[in-house]
Amino acid sequence: MNQPLLSLQNIHKSFQGIPVLQDINFDIYPGEVVCLIGPSGSGKSTLLRTMNRLEEPDKGEIFFQGVPQLHSRVDVNAMRTHIGMVFQSFNLFPHLDVLANCTIAQQLVRKRSLLEAELIARQYLTKVGLENFLHASPSSLSGGQKQRVAIARALAMNPTLMLFDEPTSALDPEMVGEVLSVMQDLAKEGMTMVVVTHEMGFARQVGSRICLMDEGKIVETNVPQVFFLSPQHPRSQAFLAKILR
Amino acid sequence: MPAGFWEGVWYLLEHYWPLFLRGLSTTLLLAALGTLLGFVLGMGLATLQLIPKSSHETWLQKASRPLAKGFSRLYIQIFRGTPMMVQAIIIYYGAMRLWGSWPALLAGIVVVSLNTAAYIAEIIRAGINAIDKGQHEAARSLGLTYGQTMRRIILPQAIKNVIPSIGNEFIVNVKDTSVLNVIAVTELFYNSTSISMTFYRQFEVFFITSVLYFIITLLATAFLNWVDRRLGVRSAVTLPTSATLPFPTRTEDQG
Repeated sequence: MNQPLLSLQNIHKSFQGIPVLQDINFDIYPGEVVCLIGPSGSGKSTLLRTMNRLEEPDKGEIFFQGVPQLHSRVDVNAMRTHIGMVFQSFNLFPHLDVLANCTIAQQLVRKRSLLEAELIARQYLTKVGLENFLHASPSSLSGGQKQRVAIARALAMNPTLMLFDEPTSALDPEMVGEVLSVMQDLAKEGMTMVVVTHEMGFARQVGSRICLMDEGKIVETNVPQVFFLSPQHPRSQAFLAKILR
Repeated sequence: MPAGFWEGVWYLLEHYWPLFLRGLSTTLLLAALGTLLGFVLGMGLATLQLIPKSSHETWLQKASRPLAKGFSRLYIQIFRGTPMMVQAIIIYYGAMRLWGSWPALLAGIVVVSLNTAAYIAEIIRAGINAIDKGQHEAARSLGLTYGQTMRRIILPQAIKNVIPSIGNEFIVNVKDTSVLNVIAVTELFYNSTSISMTFYRQFEVFFITSVLYFIITLLATAFLNWVDRRLGVRSAVTLPTSATLPFPTRTEDQG
């Protein structure tokens, strides 16, 4: 744990004058599974989206592998190719089949041949248990299957960091498990992950660090054992009291 | 020429079918080519409005972005805000004044294409706006550039969704090319007028004319609905009203 993989420093962001992120300082080290939790509107998703610059911070600096990113000469796409992202609403490409969803970025960005890209895509689709759906259309899949394709699509780019934005919030309860277990396997293999989630069971079991956000600030950062048993900050205590009845 | 209505119609069909048919084929040529070229130009006009801000751009790029967008908006406003009949006269006689005489049919194709481009640009723009912004974010998060995202992710979906509207433009053009008779393009309406001048039997002549127009639009509608079913696009095509309204209706803008 020497150099952080991703480092956010003094990040500020507001939407139409309303501050959403206030002076965020945040380091992610290789192999960590950081779970961002907190009430709706606390800035969790905005913080996550700032990490691959889907949102541009108003102030502050982002370092990826030690390299400052927020300069006009830095190509935003270079960082994004190392960071995979999984969305709440899946965002699969509906005009492409499952396999093509997982190959298009490999071909366009990684410049892999179709053959090579398909080989890698098959490998990751097998990993998420969808080897029998290669030529299915995304619209024919269940929510859980869609999200697993989305995970395979991101993994096929061989990212060093994976961002998950409430990956199970849009799923039927019975499909949450299959997605979480894929994520758990990924964490076991040592993937560095940042997960915005309301799944406290997952955060507790898989997370290596829990961050509670409130009103655009990180209120408390702690290892799950401490965070869930004896939260330090009154805001964390109140939050946990509400959700862990 | 016999006095009765049906006898008159029969007489006209018997003696003037080649003229009706030539008019009809010119109308179809104008509508098809005009819609096709209008689509190409419309894509260009829509693109001008979508040039993205890039993080490091020269002052020339910075200045040209609003210029390109402004040109596109102005073009669309002008061509949708004036009747195609007036556009035809301005373009045909204007070019003649500047560079000398040119074929009316060519002028007709130019006019229909330029006019259709304005409508199709708006259709495409609405089609792009209708695509969920999560698609754009997913593509960018995978490292695709803005251009790659547009070409490979957004446009294929947007174009598929607007095919019914483009088809409507073709049907509109079949009907609205009749205004090109003012610059003596020998399309169906112009030829019908010529025939009716011979006998002063407008009713019989234009009865045939309207049936011909109707058959074409009916066939085109049926074809488009078939295409829609194949593509799985929901909205069905009905005979559209004239697109040469001065300003767009609300439903059109929503695409």
